[in-house]
Amino acid sequence: MTAAGKAAGKGADQAAGKATSKAADEAAGEAADEAADEAADEAADEAAGERAAAAPHREASNLLTDLFRDSLDGGYAAAAKRRKASGRPEPPWRRRTGLGARAIALALFGFLLAVAYQHVVAGAAGNSQTRADLAAEVAQRRADADKLARDAEGLRDDVSKEREQALAADPELLRLRDLEARTGLARVQGNGVIVTVSDAPAAVDPVTGRVDPENLGRVLDRDLQAIANALWQSGAEAIAINGQRLTATSTIRAAGEAILVDFRPIARPYMLAAIGAAGIDKRLADSATGKQFKRFVENYRMVFEIKARDGLTLPAGADPGLRYATPPPSAPPSGPASASPNPSGSRR
Amino acid sequence: MIAVLALAAGVVLGLVFKPTVPAVLEPYLPIAVVAALDAVFGGVRARLDGIFDDKQFVVSFVSNVLVAAFIVFLGDQLGVGGQLSVSVVVVLGVRIFSNVAAIRRHLFRA
Repeated sequence: MTAAGKAAGKGADQAAGKATSKAADEAAGEAADEAADEAADEAADEAAGERAAAAPHREASNLLTDLFRDSLDGGYAAAAKRRKASGRPEPPWRRRTGLGARAIALALFGFLLAVAYQHVVAGAAGNSQTRADLAAEVAQRRADADKLARDAEGLRDDVSKEREQALAADPELLRLRDLEARTGLARVQGNGVIVTVSDAPAAVDPVTGRVDPENLGRVLDRDLQAIANALWQSGAEAIAINGQRLTATSTIRAAGEAILVDFRPIARPYMLAAIGAAGIDKRLADSATGKQFKRFVENYRMVFEIKARDGLTLPAGADPGLRYATPPPSAPPSGPASASPNPSGSRR
Repeated sequence: MIAVLALAAGVVLGLVFKPTVPAVLEPYLPIAVVAALDAVFGGVRARLDGIFDDKQFVVSFVSNVLVAAFIVFLGDQLGVGGQLSVSVVVVLGVRIFSNVAAIRRHLFRA
């Protein structure tokens, strides 16, 4: 141990033992005599720490009590004392200036209040206005999209009518219509099955009457996917969920609480209509998925019904849109359909 | 009397001119209102205590508003957001409460 270290230890011991400033001074003095300055500093620090520990949290509690007790600015009392001490009344110019400054400050305060009030009111109005505008725009756009979809369907009907007239004698027409039905490009009719799925009724606590937020019998997007796949497997030739035709590129997804089919939200109860060969309902019920959902009904009270239905009509699916083919720059001569193959050249 | 008139005039001016708050000053507005409220209630209490002083009032009003705004600004710059302004609201809120309590005792003797 060095001399400095020893001195520090000695000083600290003494300071701790007596815990007075005198001890600290003595220790500092001794340390300075014996060794380097750092030792003295350390000893003094040690003693100071000891003293502070003797009065715990004095500053902290002072701050709070001051805050609660002396809420009035100390300046008022000080100014009053000054006035009393001087003993003279204020000169009139000073009075007038003070009055003016007070008036200006209060006017500013009133102005501030009015501005803040108007700001808050305007902000609230702006927020609700924005939300209403957005909702209106969404509704407007949705209506536009529906109208365009209806237009497209009508035009597609026209096209297929024209084509039927043009190809009346062609045996390819049957194959074409079959393909259109299978790919969801055309409206189809037939006998089939309707599967109704819905959430289990929310569990209500019989004592408190509170609704259990966790519903295990909720229908998820996965469930609809499984049922749709089971329907295809059972021989369905066309499926529509709540009137939305499924095609080869359809998606069934969840977005938050809602289920989207082809990015359009669908609402409960979910009705899957499928057209297929007779007995499709039996095949679906006997499939693994059908049995699984029967268990869901028993265990979680989910709604799942399979009903055979005759004379179903399923709408055409969303237009797939052409990705690579573009119309030729100049309009082709609109002559009668000749024997030339169709532009895509799929016939080999 | 003149104080009430000035206050009313300020409110009327604010309502008539409907100034738009610049986006830069927007975050400081609420805290400035709280700080100004503190100064005003302090002044009212001093008045009732009979020790009101114009200079003290004006200085405390201006400095309260400026310091409160500065703390909000500092909080924004340091990235602690609204947390620093919470301290302003707590301290000024406590002061407003106890000043109003003192005013109440003066006015209603209760």
